[in-house]
Amino acid sequence: MRGTVRPPHAHGPLRQVLRIGAPDLRRFLLGTALGTAAALCTVGLLACSGALIDKAALRPPLYTLTLLMAAVQLLALSRGPLRYAERLVSHDAALGALGRVRLWLYDQVTPRSPAGVAGWRNGDLLARATADVDLLQDVYLRGVAPLATALVTAVVTVGAVTLVLPTGGLVLGACLVGGTATASALAWLRRRRLGNGEGALRGALAADVVELLVAAPDLVAMGRDEEYLERVLASDAELERRARRRSWSDGAVAAVVVFATGAAVVGTLVTATDAIAAHHLPSFMIAVLPLAALGAFEVVLPAADAVSRLADHTEAAGRLVSVADLDVPVVDPADAAPLPDGTRIGLEAAVLRYQSDGPRALDGLDLDVAPGRRVAVVGPSGAGKSSIVNVLLRFWGLESGSALLDGMSLDQLRQDDVRTRIGWVGQDAHLFPTTIGGNIAVARPGATPDDVAAAASDAQLGPWIDSLPLGLDTPVGERGAQLSGGQRQRVALARALLAGAPVLVLDEPTSGLDRPTAARLVHDVLAATEGSTLVLITHRDEDLVDVDEVVVVDDGRVVGRYSPGAGDGTGDGDGGSSATAARREARAAT
Amino acid sequence: MDRAVAPARGPVDPRLIRRAAATRHYLIGAVAVGLVGTAALVAQAVLLGAIVQKVLIGHAGVARTVPLLVGLAAAFAVRGLSAWAGEVAAHRTSSRVTSTLRRQLLARAVGLGPSWLAGERTGELATSATQGIDALDAYFARYLPTAVLAALTPVVLLAWIVADDWFSAVILVVTAAVIPLFMILLGLEATRSASRQWERLSGLAATFYDLLQGLPTLRAFGRADAGRATLERANRELRDETMSTLKVAFLSSLALETLASVGTALVALFLGLRLLNGTLDVGTALAILVLAPEVYLPLRRAGAEFHASAEGRAAAERILDVLDDADVKAGVMAGGDAAQGTGRGDRRHVRLLPDPATSTVRLDQVTVRFPGRAVPVLDGVDLALEPGAHVAVVGESGSGKSTLLSVLLGFTEPDRGDVRVGGARLADCSLRDWRAGVAWVPQRPNLVRGTLEDNLRLSNPDATDAEVVRAVERCGLDGLVARLADGMTTPVGEGGLTLSAGERQRIALGRAVLRDVPVVLLDEPTAHLDTGREDSLRELLAPWLEGRTVVMAAHRGGLVGRVDRTVTLVSGQVVETGPGELDRVGPLGPSGTLGARVPR
Ligand SMILES: Nc1ncnc2c1ncn2[C@@H]1O[C@H](COP(=O)(O)OP(=O)(O)OP(=O)(O)O)[C@@H](O)[C@H]1O
Ligand SMILES: Nc1ncnc2c1ncn2[C@@H]1O[C@H](COP(=O)(O)OP(=O)(O)OP(=O)(O)O)[C@@H](O)[C@H]1O
Ligand SMILES: [Mg+2]
Ligand SMILES: [Mg+2]
Repeated sequence: MRGTVRPPHAHGPLRQVLRIGAPDLRRFLLGTALGTAAALCTVGLLACSGALIDKAALRPPLYTLTLLMAAVQLLALSRGPLRYAERLVSHDAALGALGRVRLWLYDQVTPRSPAGVAGWRNGDLLARATADVDLLQDVYLRGVAPLATALVTAVVTVGAVTLVLPTGGLVLGACLVGGTATASALAWLRRRRLGNGEGALRGALAADVVELLVAAPDLVAMGRDEEYLERVLASDAELERRARRRSWSDGAVAAVVVFATGAAVVGTLVTATDAIAAHHLPSFMIAVLPLAALGAFEVVLPAADAVSRLADHTEAAGRLVSVADLDVPVVDPADAAPLPDGTRIGLEAAVLRYQSDGPRALDGLDLDVAPGRRVAVVGPSGAGKSSIVNVLLRFWGLESGSALLDGMSLDQLRQDDVRTRIGWVGQDAHLFPTTIGGNIAVARPGATPDDVAAAASDAQLGPWIDSLPLGLDTPVGERGAQLSGGQRQRVALARALLAGAPVLVLDEPTSGLDRPTAARLVHDVLAATEGSTLVLITHRDEDLVDVDEVVVVDDGRVVGRYSPGAGDGTGDGDGGSSATAARREARAAT
Repeated sequence: MDRAVAPARGPVDPRLIRRAAATRHYLIGAVAVGLVGTAALVAQAVLLGAIVQKVLIGHAGVARTVPLLVGLAAAFAVRGLSAWAGEVAAHRTSSRVTSTLRRQLLARAVGLGPSWLAGERTGELATSATQGIDALDAYFARYLPTAVLAALTPVVLLAWIVADDWFSAVILVVTAAVIPLFMILLGLEATRSASRQWERLSGLAATFYDLLQGLPTLRAFGRADAGRATLERANRELRDETMSTLKVAFLSSLALETLASVGTALVALFLGLRLLNGTLDVGTALAILVLAPEVYLPLRRAGAEFHASAEGRAAAERILDVLDDADVKAGVMAGGDAAQGTGRGDRRHVRLLPDPATSTVRLDQVTVRFPGRAVPVLDGVDLALEPGAHVAVVGESGSGKSTLLSVLLGFTEPDRGDVRVGGARLADCSLRDWRAGVAWVPQRPNLVRGTLEDNLRLSNPDATDAEVVRAVERCGLDGLVARLADGMTTPVGEGGLTLSAGERQRIALGRAVLRDVPVVLLDEPTAHLDTGREDSLRELLAPWLEGRTVVMAAHRGGLVGRVDRTVTLVSGQVVETGPGELDRVGPLGPSGTLGARVPR
């Protein structure tokens, strides 16, 4: 299983997942061997005890029984420890494999986030990483190994019985094959009737639940929470309906196995009786054959169960591996160029479409930010300002045109390299549910508490953090919900400042701040990042006072440029009206 | 074994049992079917013994055993059918309980409101509500019936055996009696480690969900590997914890199995010896031999199912804590109605809510203190909102503007003081009724998966098409709708991912506009809009806002041209100033004078 190099789609999803989990093959075989030994003990114990009793009933001398007695004791005592060892070994191997599948999933999502998984729901992905992966545990535990165990046990038992009495072996074999085949057929029928999709339903349920929890404030405020809950529970009801029908077919499978057991017991009894009457078989074997049959079916039962679950497992595996089928939106070049030294960034005739048939979010946009320059990008909502950032950070690829770093197209560079140059604050930046300090320190591994505190203070968080009993160790809650809007923004800004990248891209860092704080923040950030290249996206005219250049964007294009220092905006601090005026002029011109 | 392990959360958790009461008929059915199966098993053993006896001792041919063989086949048939019926009944036992539990958990989580949810981890809650409750199936459908059967079946079987051969019965009783002892010891340990395991599993879920959301951030800072390391650690912890849980479970079944094997072997041994002496006939001996393992089997199965349901029980503990714990720091219940179930809602004596359109809404000495914060966010705030008044709330970031709106919405319950509508305390009224008269534009709106139109209509499903179109125009979304090929039916992605921040905010605005309500709460509705758009929205919305009571938190001009009053929050206190243009009157100074050069 491990180490074989095959194209990923050469096999069905189950085998693919088995390969991804790459279970330790030796442990796996060891587990299977132990399990088989335990199973054979079960059959042997029943058969030997039957023989013992039958022989004893014929009242032979005691010494003829000692061997059988010893065998019964030995088998009885070794079965438990064997099974114990088997379970420990195989569970440990399976759990390890599941962990690897989860990591694999993470590795698949990472290069696709956010653009490549935009159509997927986080709750659904979560269900894949938990419920679906957990289901696969059964593939490792109850799928492969019990099948192997059952097969070996069945073959050995049937073989042994055949040696004793060929017709008996035939009957037992027929019942085993017939029983498992009928059970599988029932499972197959159910799948045909219900179709696949329980995994998908579970995923949808998880995604709906997540959405309900996230949107709860809005829903409750609008009085729609109860209705929405009903909507969420609709997939619960559908799952319920399926489970009910499934319990019928599960019951049928169980019944079929018992019926087949009965047939085997009755059949072996009949053949044995016949053979004894014809003196082909010693009479003490009369109980051995039916008891061996009972034992064999006890071992086969879990395998029948595994077969009837095969469809579920295949679906779960399919849901996992399908993540690998999604396009990777931005692929690193095979022979990436080394990262250039300069910090000039820009776009050239950039065209971006979020959907291939959607409108152009960037429509031939040109932007050039020279090293150390501070450029503000303004424009109406939906103009494409954040889209510029998405392209510079390589979260989305361009349809045409190019994004440049130091004159070199970003296509030629490794994404991770590019990102080391850029510090970024998103418009709705994500805060992790740890502490304030933890959120800031994400930007730089190994940052000292002092570094973190300095960044926080540059982001105007200082006095507030000082007022907190736990200071930087205050938890921020899920999605930063225990902070105010402006505090969230400033924590995100502190994070970007801590990264200390030579290029800083700030997407509306001041939108949630009061005027004096915003003013101080822009002032301090400009001072703290002296010499860095800065792209500042903003709606606030006041922020434009200290920048070198203002770029006005509308409809995905640059519609105006001016430098506030050159115009009437300097000196009196009323940069706002000049910016507005410039933008209006620029609009009129196009 | 079930009754033996009684303490606290023993093998039969009383809180769970209470919930199973709803489906006790199915439980009884499952047990009854199980007993029928046991009877068939006894018949099967006896018949098998009789057949062997006839063939071995009586030298009978097939013809003479036919009636017995038919009986044997019938016994198997009954066993098969009872297995079938048992499966169906078991499922019925659990399905309604788990569905109800899921509904209650979600309703409660939503009901506890945003303040409570803020401190919870979405991924963990979601996993409890999905996988955790699914895992309870093992408890209701498997463990409960087997536990009851474990108490009944061995007794029935032993009664049968003792009649035939008291000696074997004694061996069985002595060995089987040790089993509960093991179960007590191992069961307690198992329960402890299972709840640790569930903590790890749901913790891993929370981590994974959080990583999914934070991946763009991690990638931007080149820290995707740190996320991977976090996941790896969670994986490892889960694996270790699971293995230690399993070890206990496996040890327990090893102990039980060994006991069963030794017991069966002893029985077989003494049966053999007495057969040799001729004091026992082979038919009885064989019947007892087949039945002997079946005495242990229900106990062993109950033990196994007990361990198999450990995850479900651990998840249930967490879920029931959310459901039952009246002390959960709850913020305020969503509906506040008795229908919301347990907790704070109970003590509300629902009063008729005065009409918000004609009554003054008052904050009366409202104090809000968040845990982990040194000073109260709101400290004895008084505020009167006359019908139709337009009030701006300003103040530094973090000064409590959103908290004030949250108090007005009933999301945050004041630690002291009241919100009054007319003469009634909001705390005495139905919050659902109150919110039906309030529109809220949150600072961070949450869109749901669906189309633009779905998201707008969410606030008012009965709105006519014309009303929706008007709302789109009023909140300045017509340009966007025109640009999109599918217009209003364009999907917005999860959380409105395919929209810009300003567009999301305007959808929230559109939602508010679609509701014809007397009270409007706006939380920085224009934070993501440029001044040009802000100006035009102000004009577009003026007619709609006219006559409604408006409270707007804002840093800038916002949506209300002329406010009747401006309330400034400073250190939890309010300072009120008179009517005027917000931009000009805010004590933070007229626009423009606080440029970037202002010293700190
Ligand atoms: N992931 C996406 N998928 C599809 N369309 C998108 C996506 N992100 C943004 N858009 C669309 O692209 C356009 C530009 O969006 P962008 O976020 O760049 O605007 P913006 O200028 O930053 O606006 P705002 O000031 O409101 O943040 C918008 O019309 C938006 O609806
Ligand atoms: N759930 C919570 N738990 C603990 N503290 C909280 C919680 N919610 C808010 N706070 C704190 O209460 C204070 C007020 O927050 P609030 O959101 O009301 O501020 P705001 O005035 O709206 O600020 P902004 O302008 O930044 O949105 C902040 O210091 C915040 O950290
Ligand atoms: Mg934007
Ligand atoms: Mg706020």
